[in-house]
Amino acid sequence: MVDASVPAIEITGLCTAYDKADVLQDVSLVVPQGQITCLLGSNGAGKTTLIRSILGLTPPHAGSIKIFGEEVGGLPTHRVVAKGVACIPEGRRMFPKLTVAENLRLGAYQEPDEAEIRRRLDEVYAAFPRLAERRGQLAGTMSGGEQAMVSIGRGLMGKPRVLLIDEPSLGLSPLYVKENFRIIESVRAKGLTVFLVEQNVHQTLAISDTGYVVSGGRVVASGTAEQLRNDSEVHAAYFG
Amino acid sequence: MALLGQYLVNGIMLGTIYALVAVGFTLFFGVLDVIKFSHGDVLMVGAFAGFTAAMAVAAVGISNPVLQLAASVVFALSVTAALGAAIAKWLILPLKHAPRMNILLVTLMLGTALREAVRLFYPDGSNPKAFPALLPTSALTLGDFTLRADSAILVAAGISVIVGLHLLINRTRLGLAIRAVAQDEETARTMGINYALVVLVTFALGSGIAAVAGVMNGLYYNEVNFGMGLLLGLIGFSAAIIGGLGNLYGAILGGFLFAMLQMLGAVAMPFASAYKDVFAFAVVIALMAWKPTGLIPERASERV
Repeated sequence: MVDASVPAIEITGLCTAYDKADVLQDVSLVVPQGQITCLLGSNGAGKTTLIRSILGLTPPHAGSIKIFGEEVGGLPTHRVVAKGVACIPEGRRMFPKLTVAENLRLGAYQEPDEAEIRRRLDEVYAAFPRLAERRGQLAGTMSGGEQAMVSIGRGLMGKPRVLLIDEPSLGLSPLYVKENFRIIESVRAKGLTVFLVEQNVHQTLAISDTGYVVSGGRVVASGTAEQLRNDSEVHAAYFG
Repeated sequence: MALLGQYLVNGIMLGTIYALVAVGFTLFFGVLDVIKFSHGDVLMVGAFAGFTAAMAVAAVGISNPVLQLAASVVFALSVTAALGAAIAKWLILPLKHAPRMNILLVTLMLGTALREAVRLFYPDGSNPKAFPALLPTSALTLGDFTLRADSAILVAAGISVIVGLHLLINRTRLGLAIRAVAQDEETARTMGINYALVVLVTFALGSGIAAVAGVMNGLYYNEVNFGMGLLLGLIGFSAAIIGGLGNLYGAILGGFLFAMLQMLGAVAMPFASAYKDVFAFAVVIALMAWKPTGLIPERASERV
């Protein structure tokens, strides 16, 4: 396997643009293995664009993205996923007309072994008994909180080595937000690397090991969670 | 009464053919949100491929109709599946971000090109070809009503293809991928689905099914001609629209509905059965005015 000192994600000099407008400018960051690394920033700072660049959904026009030391810049999304990347996308993005079970199965799309898929399904159902009850229900008919469970479960179904989580607290009630953050922490406890993108500064820093702050498409601050909590740049990026 | 039975058999026969054409439109629209207007002409190419294979097998001295039929279907399927995938790869996927109108135009022009190519380059392509009768023509007679074996076999084959497609879409990994791509392309890619491959396979699948319809049509009417795809394509498209574009079962329903309308037109106006298409299309227009998103709307609920 990969040396533990190799970063799960290493981004260097990344520039990504929609049409001609640069959204990310010279972004560099490192997500070490086995930790929760967060990316903080307000709306429009370029957080989701960074996730899209990593996944190859919006290919960058300059810079390098390495997953466990392998360059993935320019690869189609399914080949990035094959490196062990999974994403819990912003807004949960259910397949509304597929059942809960089918949504979860899609999370393990690249796993050919049916027995292994069943085993993982059982794991997800054990973690979210609610989903087990509703496995035959169409995902689009579930509540926001239940959809969040499906989305998290689906992200875990692929047994990723690094999990990208985009704004898990968006549009959820405080109770579910708390629950989600608890789950993210438990995921890290299993040795999974997490790259967490959030606006919710306090709760995010409370569970993160290290973090970055983006503003206007650039990294404006970085450091341990502790440092970021006390950093004036963080406050400036949000409140300035 | 016997006449009614005959109409019914005819209707089911034609409905099956139309349904097979319509599911192609609906599959392509599902994965790529495009209308591929060359679909009818791809069907025609399939019918000619099937005809050519049947003739070639006969020419080398094999006169067993089962072998001829097998060669015909296999060759028609392979040619159209390859053609459909090629169209997706080199014509439609590259235009993915272009205005929808461009794809409409390009496929419309491609359809004309295919049609003209067969007319000009196929030996004596401008004249109808007599498709060999490869199915047994023995008949089962019940009173005045006769059910011919070839009709029964064609209907059974067509319905098996539809059931097979249903199982493929609902029970297999590929089907799950096709449904996922149809609902949300980007999230499907994020799940690790090879999007471009799913599109190519879907186009191959839809086109291959159209070829089955083309060969069925050839066997039923004992004729293929270079223009056969025009009307069949239009009917298949109408069937997919009235069923609710993007919905597989709507397309199948639409196909049978259109055939029923034609038969109804023929029964109601026996003095002018040539107008049955006019009647059927007029009802389709009325249906579209009444239910613009089709009988089983696929997208309406997502617009909310």
